[in-house]
Parts: sequence; structure tokens; C-alpha cells
Amino acid sequence: MLRGFAKSLRQTRKVGMLYDIRLHLSYDYDAAAGGSRHQVRVLPQTIAGVQRVVAASLSFVPTPSERTDFADFFGNNVTAIAFRDVHDGLDIRMSARVSVSRPEPGLDVSPDLQCLREELGAVRSLAPDAPHHFLTASDHAGIDAAITAYARASASGSTVGTAIDLCNRIHRDFTYDGEATTVHTRASDAFRLKRGVCQDFSHIMIAGLRGLGIPAGYVSGFLRTIPPKGKPRLEGADAMHAWVKVWCGRDAGWQEFDPTNGMRASNDHITVGYGRDYSDVAPIVGVLKTTGGQVGDQAVDVIPVALEKV
Amino acid sequence: MAKGNQKKIRGKPLRHSLLEHYQPIDGVVDEMVDASGNPRPAWAPFIEALEELGPEKLGQRFARADQYLRDAGVYYRVYDKAGANEREWPLAHIPLLIEDKEWAEISAGLVQRADLFEEIVADIYGPNRLIEKGILPAGLIAASPEYLRPIADTRPASGHFLHFCAFELGRGPDGSWWVLGDRTQAPSGAGFALENRVATTRALSDIYGEMHVHRLAGFFRRFRDALIGMAKENDGRVAILTPGPLNETYYEHAYIARYLGIMLLEGEDLTVSGGKLMVRTVSGLMPISVLWRRLDAAFADPLELRPDSQIGTPGLVEAIRRGAVSTVNALGSGLMETRALLAFLPKISRALRGEELLLPSVATWWCGQDSERRHVLANLDRMVVGPALSTRLAFEDDDQTRLGSALTPEERTALIARIESDGGGFVGQEAVTLSTTPVYVGGWLEPRPASLRVYLARTPEGWTVMPGGFARVGLSLDPTAIAMQRGGQAADVWVVSDRPVERETLLPQEHDSFARTMPGSLPSRAAENLTWLGRYIERSEDTVRILRAYHVRLAETSDPDMPLLADVRDYLEPFGIDLEAAIPPGLIGTLDSAVYSAGQIRDRFSPDGWLALKDLSKTIHQFATTVAPGDDATRAMTVMLRKLAGFSGLLHENMYRFTGWRFLEIGRRIERGIQIARTLARLTRSGAPDGSLDMMLEIGDSVMTHRRQYPVRAGRRTVIDLLALDPLNPRSILFQLERLKAEIGLLPSVGPEGHMSVAAKEILQLNTAIAVMEPSEMSAEVLDDLATEIGNLYNSLAKAYFG
Repeated sequence: MLRGFAKSLRQTRKVGMLYDIRLHLSYDYDAAAGGSRHQVRVLPQTIAGVQRVVAASLSFVPTPSERTDFADFFGNNVTAIAFRDVHDGLDIRMSARVSVSRPEPGLDVSPDLQCLREELGAVRSLAPDAPHHFLTASDHAGIDAAITAYARASASGSTVGTAIDLCNRIHRDFTYDGEATTVHTRASDAFRLKRGVCQDFSHIMIAGLRGLGIPAGYVSGFLRTIPPKGKPRLEGADAMHAWVKVWCGRDAGWQEFDPTNGMRASNDHITVGYGRDYSDVAPIVGVLKTTGGQVGDQAVDVIPVALEKV
Repeated sequence: MAKGNQKKIRGKPLRHSLLEHYQPIDGVVDEMVDASGNPRPAWAPFIEALEELGPEKLGQRFARADQYLRDAGVYYRVYDKAGANEREWPLAHIPLLIEDKEWAEISAGLVQRADLFEEIVADIYGPNRLIEKGILPAGLIAASPEYLRPIADTRPASGHFLHFCAFELGRGPDGSWWVLGDRTQAPSGAGFALENRVATTRALSDIYGEMHVHRLAGFFRRFRDALIGMAKENDGRVAILTPGPLNETYYEHAYIARYLGIMLLEGEDLTVSGGKLMVRTVSGLMPISVLWRRLDAAFADPLELRPDSQIGTPGLVEAIRRGAVSTVNALGSGLMETRALLAFLPKISRALRGEELLLPSVATWWCGQDSERRHVLANLDRMVVGPALSTRLAFEDDDQTRLGSALTPEERTALIARIESDGGGFVGQEAVTLSTTPVYVGGWLEPRPASLRVYLARTPEGWTVMPGGFARVGLSLDPTAIAMQRGGQAADVWVVSDRPVERETLLPQEHDSFARTMPGSLPSRAAENLTWLGRYIERSEDTVRILRAYHVRLAETSDPDMPLLADVRDYLEPFGIDLEAAIPPGLIGTLDSAVYSAGQIRDRFSPDGWLALKDLSKTIHQFATTVAPGDDATRAMTVMLRKLAGFSGLLHENMYRFTGWRFLEIGRRIERGIQIARTLARLTRSGAPDGSLDMMLEIGDSVMTHRRQYPVRAGRRTVIDLLALDPLNPRSILFQLERLKAEIGLLPSVGPEGHMSVAAKEILQLNTAIAVMEPSEMSAEVLDDLATEIGNLYNSLAKAYFG
């Protein structure tokens, strides 16, 4: 998430990692809200070959009148809650123990973009991980002529090579700036600003790859950050993170890249959900009956527990 | 009809021949006449009957149809540069006639198509075998905005995705019918088809009676019964969901709701509780198990579909996933309108059903496939090319859909380049020529291109086809001009038999069992709008009365600043009524608000009531530009009072005395109570200018009564006695309180059984307190407080019933 830590992150770990993750989302409403209904997507999921959720819990204050848990189209954990009574805020706490162990990237067996197109046509499926869902424009990551032109400079050789090059260029060419954009910013606007946060860089990379005909999706999750040498880890200093998954053909399948840090997703990346863009995996969406606005706050802790043998 | 032959026998044409100038286009089929110019069998007696009437009578007859549509207030909404406008329904007076033998073929083809569509949509949101077998490209479906992922793997509670479909047909040059487009999202126009029928038969009732035309009512009855049957299975009610009065076909939603006796709701009327869809009514939350939605699926639930939707119901998708409600059609069904799908239907039909399509679609090629793309590029001049994922009909979409032969060389090069780089985004379709049908223009019949919309509804016995429908007819020979938004016309469709047909009506027949059913629960939003309608109408009337009393005096005096007039100006100013203008903008605003409130609940209004209200609003707007203060304004206010009385009379005499009427009445009584108390406080206060008491009597419409009741000049005590405390004077405060007590007592109970509601307690206390008061106790302060207390009554009611 934070630039400057990239170097330490790039040291590949051969062993898995075990984390305790804590997330605290809090919202204060200016005016008391009547009924409200939300969907929350913050619980990590067990993903074969990537991570295993050892334990997880999610709690709300006040206690919702209704609560249901289900998996959405992309397999993400969703908790739907509703409040019937008047309330003046919402507190969400998630804690989870997750072990992450991603495979080492092997040889690049991905096809060039022409062959990728043919391999794509041969995928006869609308399953949640079928590449077709991730090829066309979506709300935040529309196909944009300027972004496509920018991405085209990376398009040579294999699909994986194209993705890595674009990931590194975005990391190099764009400035991390938490003030420049909001959760509603679209890829095209962030691209013109040349700045933004993980969400924006991911959207730009997704839009660029789609413009080249490469299926690309949005991954939401957490990132372990390592404090500068000699400084203690600050409580709640982390934030939710986002990166990109790329379909690299029949054999290479989905691979994940983090354009904010210019790297592949590593064992420091803990996945919450997949979607076409942010709007599919927003941590919280909701409809609130209130006359006023709201102030939200987010605190995240990603604490390594102990090394775990793969 | 024997007279037709006499004409020929005598050898001299006695009659005006309607066909004299009728010249169909070469190479285009005409519905009325065959290739040699002779009327087709179904049309011959019809034309003859029209000719017999002669141009003068025909003109009168058609004017009668137009009058009906105006009286019924039939409109549709058009969006143009000036914004949204209501436009009168453009009826083409000559119906399109189709023989029932031919109709049977159309019906069979469409039933097959609807069954096929059900199988396809159930497969796409289910096992996905068509994609697995490579018959449908996964990329095409995944790219469609109508493919709703939150619905995937959800079987509809009703067992079916499609319940009500419409198909747009055109007849090609070889005489056979083609499907131009499919409507599966939320097909509109069925209600307009009914209104077309009513209007056309107003004009041509005798001809309609003599010809054997299939009736429409049975179709609607069967569908209504099917909906109610579905709802009963799930232990809930049926409702129609509309995007609201700003939608282009809102009139139709209200009309169908009224015609079928089904609740008309907006998204905010609904809420999801415990996974069930509920309507907020004045009797509490009631379950809805069948929702006939007239809004596009994407807007149905801001939580899981379009987050920017202001007209949806959060949680609806969850209720659907849990099987608690069936939507008609199921969310996601709009996918079947996708233009590119037409290219795959023949193959799918063979694969799924082993059948050829009985009614072909317009030939379509999806450019996402190599050989198809090459075919489109090689035959561009014969093609219409447009967006593959579009759900609009080609002739309604000329911004993005282009005729290959009409492109400039530059446009052509650009289009070819786009098709080559993004083939999946385009379809090519054979350019179609539509058949022509007659319209009546200045005494003659002339040919115009037409397309036909046919409706199918699912019943427990399978699909039922509306025998008739809705023809869109061009204003010129240009086939793109038949879209309603662009100034096309609509014609009735008569399916004609050579034998007598069954006469069906929606009303139960005499031999049917008879039971009086009470109206269903009143949605809270409708109750709120009815209450405000009552308040706005009453507020207008009270204002008009004060204005009239003011202008009468202004006309008679040489001193516009005499104390009484100045006092009235000061009194009204804080209420936004500025007497500088003869017709104060505040009054116009109040009447506009009344129209707005009524417009939110058009399904609950008779056409007469609606027209009377529109007339009130039209009149005040006209007066605003023409009327001068004084005498002129006095007369204008008298006109307004008469029209207001007319509207009130309509409501009073014609509205069924149930919960809806009660809220309207409560609104009126609350407002009148407030207005009289306030005005009385002002005009009877100590130090009020000379003439105030007489003016008060005039405003309270009680001059005559006062003269009869009290053998003295108007004094403070007698005026207060008559206008505050006399229980027999319909303008007195006490009278309003008595009425309020009675009506509030009859409202549905809220809260624990046997407990009085807050509003009921308040009105009882208020009524009792006033009933025992003496005129001398009613100071201006007491009267002002009373106005406030009556206003608070509204708040208690709102909290209990409108929340």
C-alpha cells in the first residue's frame, strides 16, 4: 500500500505466512438514521492454492435487526444486515486468522495476445472465474482510449510479460496521493490526474489490460506493511489494499499483480474478494434513511503470528 | 352492405371513394389492398362501411375518438430539449385488420418463440448448457449489461422467468411476418392497446359491431387470474411496480392497475423485512408475493444492482433469491432483448427443441464471429449495423444504428475499421422494408409503414396471445418515423373472423358467483398524497375566498390603502400570498401542488376527477397572465370557486367511502380547521380594522346564515359563535373537528388492539374542549393555538400512517 516499502516486500518468501487481521470500520451519522440496509464484504475467504482462513468473525454495533451471510456471484463472503430502529452510527469489527501460501511463479507459459484471444474464445463457461466476466468495461474500469494507448507500450511478447511491464510502469509513472481521488473515482479520471491510491492504480491497470483484450479483475484485501527499521509497528496504521488479477491464458490461468508496489502478489497479500472492479467488492455498500451525511473511519492491523511451513 | 353493388349496377359512383388516391409503393406489401389494388377480404366490408358514412360523418366520428382520449386523459411522456412533456395519444383512426386465420399462424409462432425464450433464459441463469456446447458465445452474455450476476443460479419462485412478453413484427416484401425485436424486460403498450380499442370503437361502434372482431378483455382477465393464482400459492398479494409519474408510460401503469384492480406501487412503498417483500400500508406491513414490475431490472435494488437508483427497493434481490417473491418478468429477463441473440435463435431452437422457428427473426449476424463479420462487411449496403448488446429496436435507434447504404464514404471507412477491431460490439441486420397500412388524411386513405406489437401472457394453461395489439404507424413513408418518441401514431389492431366471436368482458357475468370484496390495504404513500391533495385543494379554496373578499372591496374603494385592505395584505404575506399580483404566485403554487399530489396516485382517480383538477390548474395559469386586480380579479375568483366546488363535488359524490377517501377528507378538514381558526383570530382580534367581521362572514360563506340566525349586526360574539362553535355550520371549526373525530375513528387501528391511537386521543380532547367553550372565551390567542393544535393532528397521523 505505502510506497517505499516495495523493496522489502519484494524479497520472496518460500514459506507461508500466518496473520492475525483486525479491521475496524466506524461510521457516525450527522442525523440519526431510520431504517437502513447494508452489505459488508470484509471477511477473507479460503482460496485453494492461495490462503486458508483458520478462524474469522464479524460483529456489528448496534446489533442489526437482521443478518444473513451468503456468497455472492464471485464467491465473496457477504454479510447482509438491516436495521429497523433509529441509530446514529455503525461500528463494524472483523478479526481473522489467515495463513497465506502462494505458489512461486513458475516459467512463463502464457501466450502472446493473439493466441490469448483464441484461447479465450475456447473457454465455454460463465463460471465465476471464467475470464469473460473480466474483459469488458465496468463502472470504475471503463475502456478508455488514452489508457489503452498507454498500455499498448507494454504489449509485446507474452501476456504475463505484458502484465508485469504495465504493472511496473504504473508503479513508476503514477504518484501515490491519498487526497487526489475518492472511492468513486473512475480509472479515466485517475489516469489523467496521474495520481491516486491502490484502488485507482488497480483500476488503471485493469482498464489498460482490458483495452488490450486481456481479462483483468480487481482483488480487494489486506497487505502486511513492515515498519521502518527500529520503529514499532503502529496500531491501526494499515489500510485495506487492492491489486489486480490477470487471466494469462489456458495454462498460466489467473495471476495477480500489485501495481501500487510494482510487484506480483506475495504472501503479504491477504485476499478478501474478487470482482470486475471496486464496486463488486466495496467493503460496505448500503442504503440509509437519513437527512444528514456521515463520517467514516477505518483502522486495519495485519499482524504476522509465526512462520508456517509450506 | 348490399348497397355497394347497387353503386356499380347504376354505373354512377354515388359515393366518395376513399381509395381513389391510395397508391401503395412498388415492391412493398400493403395490408389493405392486394398487388392489383383490390381490397383484401377482411378489409372490403370495412372500407365499404367507411365509404357509406362519407367524409363528413367520418370526420365527426374520428373527432369522437379523439374526444374520448382527451376526456380519459390518455397521454404519454415525451422527452425532448424542452424537457419532459405530456403529449396527447396520437391515435391513427383506421385500425389494422388481420384475418384470424393469419393471426393463428402469428400466434403459433410467437408461442413457440416465448417457450424457446423461457428455455434460453433459464439455461443462461442456470446450468449454462448452451454456452458449454458452444451454441452461445460466453463472451456475448458476459458483456451484456442485462446479464445480472446477482440473479445467477436463482430459480424464480414461480418456476418461470417469463410471464408477459411482447414481440414487434413487420411484414416483409414476400408477405410473411418477421420478428423485428423482442420485449421481455417490462413490455409497455398493452394498456394503450386497450385504450386504442375503446377510442376506435367509440368512432366506429356500428362497424365494429357488425364485423366479427376478437375481443381483448379475455386476455387481461386470464393474465390477472394467473397473477392472483401465483400470489395465492405464496400467501401474498399482487402489485404493479412503477418507476413513478415521470416515466413515459406511467399513464398506462395507472390505467392497467385501475383496469385490473391491482395495487400500483413505487419502490419506496416497498421494504424488505425478514427476507420478505412488504408494502407499507396504513394498516402496517403486508406481504407482496408477485410483483409485476414496470421498471428495468437494473433499477430494482440499489444494494445489488445499480447503486444510483432512486426508484428501487433495497433488499429486493435478496427476497428474490430466498424465493419470497416472483417478479414478472424475473429480474435478468431483459437479456433476451439483446439484439445479437437474434443471430443464434435458429440454431438454439434446433438444439433445444429440434424445431425450426415458425416465425423467423429479421436476419442477423453477430460480428464477434469471423465468417459472420466477413459477411456483414461484404454486404454492408444491404445491412443495418448497430450495437450488438443494444436492446432497442433498430428503427428506434437511429443514433447508433445505421443503414449501410446511407453512410458517407468517411463514415463507411470508420465503421468498417470499428467492426474489424471490435467485432463483438456489432451486429448486422438485413435492412427491412415494412408493409404499409392505411391512414386517414384529409378525407382520403393513404399508405403508411407499420409494425405490429403483439402481447403474450403466461397462464397455468400456457401462453395466451392478445388477439389484437398495437400497430405503430408512420406519419410519413419513412419507416424510422414509427417510433412513438419521434412522432409516430398508434392504431388499433382488429383480428377479424368470418364467424361470430366470443364476447368477453372483465366484469363477472350474471351467472358468476357474486361476492362484494373490500378494497385492499392503502399504501402509506398513497394515503399521504391523498391527505395532501385534500389539504392543497382546501387551502386553494380558502385563499380564493379571501382574495375575492379583498378584490370586491378594492374595486369599490378609491383608497387601496384603507386599513382593512392593508390588514389583509399583511395577513396573507407571511403565507406566501402576495397581493401585489391579482393572481398571487403562491396560489398558483398551491394548485400545482394539488395536481402533483394527485399525479402521484393517478390509479386512484377517475378520469373525470383528473380532468377537473387539470382544468383548475390550467385556468389559474391563464388568469395569471390576463386578470387585473379589483373587479376583474373578483370575477376570476368566482370562476375559481365554482370550479373548485365542481371538483369537490366530484370527489364527494363519486369516491368510494373507504380508507383512501377518509385520508382525503381528513386532509380537507384539517386544512379548513386551520384556515378558519387563523383567519378568525386575525379578523376578530381586538383592534381589527372596521369591516373585518363582515369580511370574515363572507370568507366563511356565512353571510346569509348570520342574517337568519342573529337579528343583529355582525358582532364579534355572533361571528365566533357561527364560525367556530356552531356544529351545524359546515364552515365552523367545531364542524371540522366533529368530522375529523368520526373519520379518524374509522381509520385502520395501529398499535395494540383496543388502544386509541395518538391522533384519536388528540382529536377527542380537542373536540371536547371546543364543544363546551363559549364565544367570549375564544380570544385571538386561543384561536391561534387551536390552529396549531389542528396542525399537530396531521403530524400524529403522519407518524402513525405515513412513516
